[in-house]
Amino acid sequence: MYYMILSILFPICTGVYLLVRRDMESRKNLLIVTGAFFVVSAVLVILTLCITGNGIFTLFSLTDRLPILFRIDEVSVVFSVMTIVVVLCAGFFSFVYMKHEEKEKRYYGYYLIVLGVLVALCFAGNLITFYLFFELLTLSSMPLVLHNGSREAIMAGLKYLFYSLSGAYMSLFGLYFLERYGNTLTFSAGGVISAEMAAQHGELLLGICFAMLIGFGVKAGMFPMHAWLPTAHPVAPAPASAVLSAVIVKAGVLAIVRVVYYIYGASFLRGSWVQYTWMILTLITVFMGSMLAYREQVLKKRLAYSTVSQLSYILFGFAVMDGGSVTGGLLHVLCHGFIKAALFLCTGGIIYMTGKTRVEQLRGIGKEMPLLMWCYTIVSLGLIGIPPTGGFISKWYLAQGTLSSGIPGFSWIGPAVLLISALLTAGYLLPLTIQGFFPGTDYDYSTLKKKEPPLIMTVPILILTVLSVEIGLFPQIFINYLLRIVEKII
Amino acid sequence: MGLIQNFPAVSILLCLFAGIISSGLKKQAARYVNTILISGVGFLSLCTLMYILETGEAFVYVMGKFPAPWGNEIRAGVLEAFMALFFCIIMLLSLAGGRKKLADEVEDGKTFLYYVLMDLLLASLLALVYTNDLFTAYVFVEINTIAACGLIMIRQNGRTIEAAARYMIMSLLGSGLLLMGLCILYDLTGHLLMSNIKEQMGWIYLSGQYKMPALVTIALLSVGLAIKSALFPFHAWLPDAYGYSTVSSAAILSSLVSKGYIFLLIKIIYRVIGFEVFYESRIVDVLFAFGLMGMIFGSISAIRENDVRRMIAFSSVAQIGYIYMGIGMGTQAGMEASIFHILSHAATKSLLFIAAIGLTDVSGGSRQFIELTGSAYRNKWAGVAFTVGSLSMVGVPLFSGFISKLLFAQAAVQNDVKMLPALIVLGISTILNAIYFMKTVIRIYTPVEEHKYESIAFKNMKLYVAALLCFIILNVVLGVSSQPIVDLIGQGLAMFS
Repeated sequence: MYYMILSILFPICTGVYLLVRRDMESRKNLLIVTGAFFVVSAVLVILTLCITGNGIFTLFSLTDRLPILFRIDEVSVVFSVMTIVVVLCAGFFSFVYMKHEEKEKRYYGYYLIVLGVLVALCFAGNLITFYLFFELLTLSSMPLVLHNGSREAIMAGLKYLFYSLSGAYMSLFGLYFLERYGNTLTFSAGGVISAEMAAQHGELLLGICFAMLIGFGVKAGMFPMHAWLPTAHPVAPAPASAVLSAVIVKAGVLAIVRVVYYIYGASFLRGSWVQYTWMILTLITVFMGSMLAYREQVLKKRLAYSTVSQLSYILFGFAVMDGGSVTGGLLHVLCHGFIKAALFLCTGGIIYMTGKTRVEQLRGIGKEMPLLMWCYTIVSLGLIGIPPTGGFISKWYLAQGTLSSGIPGFSWIGPAVLLISALLTAGYLLPLTIQGFFPGTDYDYSTLKKKEPPLIMTVPILILTVLSVEIGLFPQIFINYLLRIVEKII
Repeated sequence: MGLIQNFPAVSILLCLFAGIISSGLKKQAARYVNTILISGVGFLSLCTLMYILETGEAFVYVMGKFPAPWGNEIRAGVLEAFMALFFCIIMLLSLAGGRKKLADEVEDGKTFLYYVLMDLLLASLLALVYTNDLFTAYVFVEINTIAACGLIMIRQNGRTIEAAARYMIMSLLGSGLLLMGLCILYDLTGHLLMSNIKEQMGWIYLSGQYKMPALVTIALLSVGLAIKSALFPFHAWLPDAYGYSTVSSAAILSSLVSKGYIFLLIKIIYRVIGFEVFYESRIVDVLFAFGLMGMIFGSISAIRENDVRRMIAFSSVAQIGYIYMGIGMGTQAGMEASIFHILSHAATKSLLFIAAIGLTDVSGGSRQFIELTGSAYRNKWAGVAFTVGSLSMVGVPLFSGFISKLLFAQAAVQNDVKMLPALIVLGISTILNAIYFMKTVIRIYTPVEEHKYESIAFKNMKLYVAALLCFIILNVVLGVSSQPIVDLIGQGLAMFS
């Protein structure tokens, strides 16, 4: 049991330690210490996942009815494994990347705190615990956004803060009501709303559910509260954007999973106006995000818009509430996590080696850094959904689940939108590959230099790439595991 | 244990005597007397609290053994004793935090007067908390006003004199209304002791007579005390009074003096008018509406403010709005939330005032935001404390502000009519709070290129840091283990009737 607390507190405490201690004598020492902290945190989380059963650990009670408690279930496992892999890869990547940025110690300090808070979110056993760490996540990840201290970064940080706080308040609003009308706020598969309550206060509970969806949807970049994402991601250092885009936004997804399937229960929401509105919102977001990404020229911003769109794939899968679509959504959580982190790290590598940020400047980049661009291409294919990558499997399940759900209208509009958006995804990701490897006849090969980034940058990208492909090659392991979750909650 | 029953009366008298003695002492001695006094009174209140918790019932102490209706009575229940204890803690910490600064702020020859005024202020606060007699309450309301005015004015510059004059005028208006209310009440019931009046009020209410005069009385009492505690729109005196007085005064005025009046109002509601009668009059709705407006307009004024001290002062207007919103809810839960917020706001606001002075001191004494850039690096402790205070004000879990907000919301969802406005305004106000407090936090943590100002070393501010740490601990304790305190408040309210 205590491993749970340890794996949450260790990264947070070491992060605080890095923040308050004096500057290290040399950069090397800092990196050794930070690297050790990363590894120990990861080992602790893995150990916790292996040896902790289904027990509940109560830390303390805020009030009589609101205990802070942790519990590990299958959803926690999926999200925490993804978190650990991405955070570690991006963390080691920053060892080189952050060389040219100032205030490294502060960066690693907050980075470790974010890691601890994310693990806590995965392990949270009830809504109030989740809310507590959700707020802490916003506060501890904000310094990563405004890391370089420029006016633009500070404005982006504030925008992030206000969107997140507004969203969190909307969810808190729901929490107030659920605390009164629900029997308990503890997550349990299939929901905790009793039939009696559902009959008496049905409309009110639906309204609250909608408020919570919008509120937590802020973090997941769901329309209409998505605007912070393309502002905040590009100003952060590239590894931090990778974590933001791959993991931190997933906290919003996790929140929605918990609220919809572990507090309300699919049967309560199925066929209600909330489900329909939610599906409409996610489809709008899918399409709009892809469109905006297609028109954007700054690479990091383009990827941020892509995140907006891809997250709503996941949310759409959850909104359909069909076994297949939920499986697809959960699998896409993993795929998108690995792929988007790899994409942002590739961008980081490009920025680090060449300093270029706009897509049209990157002609011939594939000749300069072939390994990096190969990774970029492979994970791009994954995001578009071309077999044999993981993205294909998750989108296949998404589309199939939607088709078989039999919801009038949406069962065919949904897959159509997903298909169009996949084409747009190809449209915004592949030009870089094409221009990068085939710069055209007028490209001046005489200035060409090999600029492959150092090993410590390429290895994390390679790991992420391999993982994303691996999901596509051996999907059965993952699907079987996810089906166990789906059986319980649908 | 008859001995402990004397403690409330003894602590009031001790304060008065200490004030008299200190007027003949040097500043050092006056300071010692003051510190010992506050700690001593705190200890006596703690004993009283334990005693009441043990016996499980409130006691009435008859001054000079003259029985009612002629004599003067003091009544101590759980809530009274707890408030007295809490006020002592906050006062002690606020004075400790502002002690070093006091030497710059107050002329050397007048320092002893500062402590005399503090003693008197404590006496009047204790009397407001403990008294069972409305006329005594009125007398000490006036003493409180005079002492507070002196505390504002003792830092001599033009702004404070103007602020004190404003405070005086508004406050006297408030006491005037209160006095008129008392007169009518005396006329209606023929009593000045709270328990007797309540009995009579119950009769009057049941008989259905004197509906109008009773309503007018309730209105006069509520508005009078609302003016004195700076409920929106009667808050015009507040920003200057808190913004320019000495730092300890600002902390004490915002966290104790206005709260003393609110506590008196709560006491009047329960012990004089009766909760049901008060609820039947539509004054609750008025208080509720003004509370909501205060929450929004106070925050908006704070956002527009460019002076950190005045910004914190305006934030008090918003927080007082919260408290009146809870009272205006007209339910037991709302009242509990309000009383909890009295505690949480006192702990947070004095922390913010004390932390802000540390930040302005390392910025050349300027309170403009532009000068505060990077000040948290020059005074690390004050930076951390200000951040904690801000997070608590915004309502981040683990700090006291979150629990207040939770209690308010829980009270709101039980009230079908007032639920929606309360929750919506609570949301807007949370976001407005976040805007100006987080803006300031980011500002003080933004590094500066050239180092214009000196930073301060830890060894020069040990007492200051100790006070800040105690405030932070108090905040976290209120935020993490709130249940016993909420239970205590509920128990105290039950003892009121």
